Amino acid sequence: MTAASDRLELSRLVHRFGLGPKPGEYLQLLAGGIPQARAKILSRRSDPGLNALVTPPFPNMGQVPSDPTASAAYWTEVWDQSLTVAIWWMDRMVLADSPFIERMTWFWHGHWATSISKVQFARAMKIQNETLRTHALGNFKDMSRAMVKDCALIYWLDGEQNVAYSPNENLGREFMELFTLGVGNYTQTDVHQAALGFTGYNVDLTAGTVSFDPKMHDSSPVSVLGKREVLDAVSLSDWIVSRPENAKFIARRLWFRFISTTVEPPASLAKVFENRDISLLINTIARNPAMRRPQYSQAKSPVEWFVAACRALRVTPSKFGSAGDLTWLLSSMGQFPFKPPSVGGWPYDEAWLTAAAIPYRVNIATSLVKSGHLEPLTSVPKSKMVQAAADWLGVAQWSTRTERALNQAVSDPARLALLALNAPEYLVNA
Amino acid sequence: MSPCDFNRRQFLKYTGAAGAATVAANLSMDDVARAASVTPLPVGTPILVIVTLYGGNDGLNTVVPYLDPAYLSNRPDMSLDASQVLPLSDSLALNGTMTGFKSLWTANKLAIVLGTSYPNPNLSHFSSMAIWQTGSPVEEISSGWIGRYLDAYPRDPFRAIGIDSTLPALFAGNDRVGSMVPVSGLQVPYGSLATQMELLADTSRQDNALVADAAESIGDLFALSSVLAPILKTAPPTSVLPLAQQLDVVANMITGNVPTRVYSVSLSGFDTHADELSQQNVLVGQLSDAIAAFLTQIGTSPRADDVVVMVYSEFGRRVQANGGEGTDHGTSAPVFVAGNRVAGGFYGEQPSLTNLVQGDLAVVVDFRDVYASMLEDVLGTDAGKILNNWSTKLNLITSAS
Repeated sequence: MTAASDRLELSRLVHRFGLGPKPGEYLQLLAGGIPQARAKILSRRSDPGLNALVTPPFPNMGQVPSDPTASAAYWTEVWDQSLTVAIWWMDRMVLADSPFIERMTWFWHGHWATSISKVQFARAMKIQNETLRTHALGNFKDMSRAMVKDCALIYWLDGEQNVAYSPNENLGREFMELFTLGVGNYTQTDVHQAALGFTGYNVDLTAGTVSFDPKMHDSSPVSVLGKREVLDAVSLSDWIVSRPENAKFIARRLWFRFISTTVEPPASLAKVFENRDISLLINTIARNPAMRRPQYSQAKSPVEWFVAACRALRVTPSKFGSAGDLTWLLSSMGQFPFKPPSVGGWPYDEAWLTAAAIPYRVNIATSLVKSGHLEPLTSVPKSKMVQAAADWLGVAQWSTRTERALNQAVSDPARLALLALNAPEYLVNA
Repeated sequence: MSPCDFNRRQFLKYTGAAGAATVAANLSMDDVARAASVTPLPVGTPILVIVTLYGGNDGLNTVVPYLDPAYLSNRPDMSLDASQVLPLSDSLALNGTMTGFKSLWTANKLAIVLGTSYPNPNLSHFSSMAIWQTGSPVEEISSGWIGRYLDAYPRDPFRAIGIDSTLPALFAGNDRVGSMVPVSGLQVPYGSLATQMELLADTSRQDNALVADAAESIGDLFALSSVLAPILKTAPPTSVLPLAQQLDVVANMITGNVPTRVYSVSLSGFDTHADELSQQNVLVGQLSDAIAAFLTQIGTSPRADDVVVMVYSEFGRRVQANGGEGTDHGTSAPVFVAGNRVAGGFYGEQPSLTNLVQGDLAVVVDFRDVYASMLEDVLGTDAGKILNNWSTKLNLITSAS
């Protein structure tokens, strides 16, 4: 008999550090014990699950044609690619055997929240996505250096408008407030001076590239956070990231998304991030005793819910209905990859648990169950089906309320699956 | 039964409250309904509609000091000249796209509260919006000001409704939350699936707070949809623009007698760091058109005098344009309050464009003076309890006509 706290901890490991268990995975991991399961979930192995996945090309779209018909086709193609890139990424999340790296990339996408609604071109978003994946478990200093020269991020925050003779504060402010230090750890003067350091970077939006124009860069010394020096984007990023507030801020951001949005992390967590080693930080978080304590529950976001359901049902997003329908349903629930509502990133917890989202969730779940594989339920007798659903989906424990509802559907496994995917204990990672 | 009427019996059937009446046999149906605080909203009950403009709307290109030399010189490529504005006085004018607001102003139904913010304005979108939505500039708190209004009443998914899929911070109380309805309305499961889904809405002693929220949201869906589905089905949206669509839904709910006292809608896209004119003119035009159309629609109903609309954003923008013909984050800006019972005109005063405070517009009015007016004179509740003993207010609302 497995301890309830083991089931809880494993449920959190597979959903928060992975993206939900594939069929059979939860019980298999449970049998091996938590330490082994944790090591497996947090490992970075070559991923045979992704072998068959073909990455669409996302070519440089070049200039908009002047001919009206060609221009209409151009923008249709741009729109189609914006759906394709999001679905390509969800395919990766679903197909990966070791989804930890995708989970971390997903976290960083919410952190450096950039929206294709302004950037428009999938190529630039794809390049940013690869940058985030490359550094997802690397060193934050390197990640930040790469991001201050990222085309999509610069364009999103008007960095290409930020020039020596007339600075634009958008990138400088959000860089310190949301990406590196957190509010309260800099002044308005720091924002203005940092903006000067970030001047002179141009983007080629359709190519997804960045170039530096020394004539547009303010090469006089700037005063940022108590230091006066000539700074460019990289040296500015290095200086800001080297501040102790950065360690505290990033440690809190990860804790917030992986453990709790209401309870503060232990003070020691920032110390773990002294060297800006992301892998060490996330591994430490995954080993925190909070993982076994019931009060640290978190709601799944719509994409996390959808991806976990696809993994359980072995459905590939790109082969599931029309891209337009999927986009509409997920957007109606408030979340679509590459389209965060603002530079502040995604909402969390209670914000996702609204009556308004339920009809769309039921709608998606109904289609998923129709096209998915239900062997985990159909292969067991009715008397064991409700428990089999918990084991299949990686739910620590159904409440008696949910058991009662699921028991009404044991003669119809598809219905049972539909209810389980909409059960409170599945919407929230208890 | 009229499809447009909120019906108590129908509500009881869907929520299971009728079952409660059977168990507690000494309670009449009316008692149960009162306890659930669910009755069709009596005509004459004031309703507040909150419009949030996300991104920081540029106050100076909305209510424009169009003759001020400092306005023109600070914004050489992005100021509006006299031909592009709708004058309200010899110094201030509405952005020329805001013809709907101009009509409301002429009819004395539009209050413009100038220079509104809070002490030591915060230039971060997220901190400043949190301050406006929690109603707490000094202390950092997690509950929203409408959420705290809800906390004072029995749980009732109808009392505050937002038109969106995710919950805005202003709707999250300590114990209660407002409900959300998508602009496309609610289509709920039916038949045996509905019966089984409703079982998932039961409370369980095993639930932690978030799991309980998830279960409650399922119950709310059935409660809300039983009332709203027929109302929303009768009138498809008349516009493709997001704010107009949201206000369409609100208008249908109000005229359908839904027992809701507070509505929340929003419009995004105001963070105009670059190429501001082309974007902001369109957005404030949409804002003005949508609210004018909404009040016109309500104006033909018995609730014409009941509805008050309040419009705010997290901050205004810098006086001086930046190099990209946009503006960076600023401080105070006008708040708008509109409706038949609103005492139209200017409140506060236009902050000086030359006498700046730390490079930005001074704060003339504290937004809590506007909130207190909304809480006391629209929602009929003690503002001090919700706004940490805040004790002053503007007299924006005339007594019932």
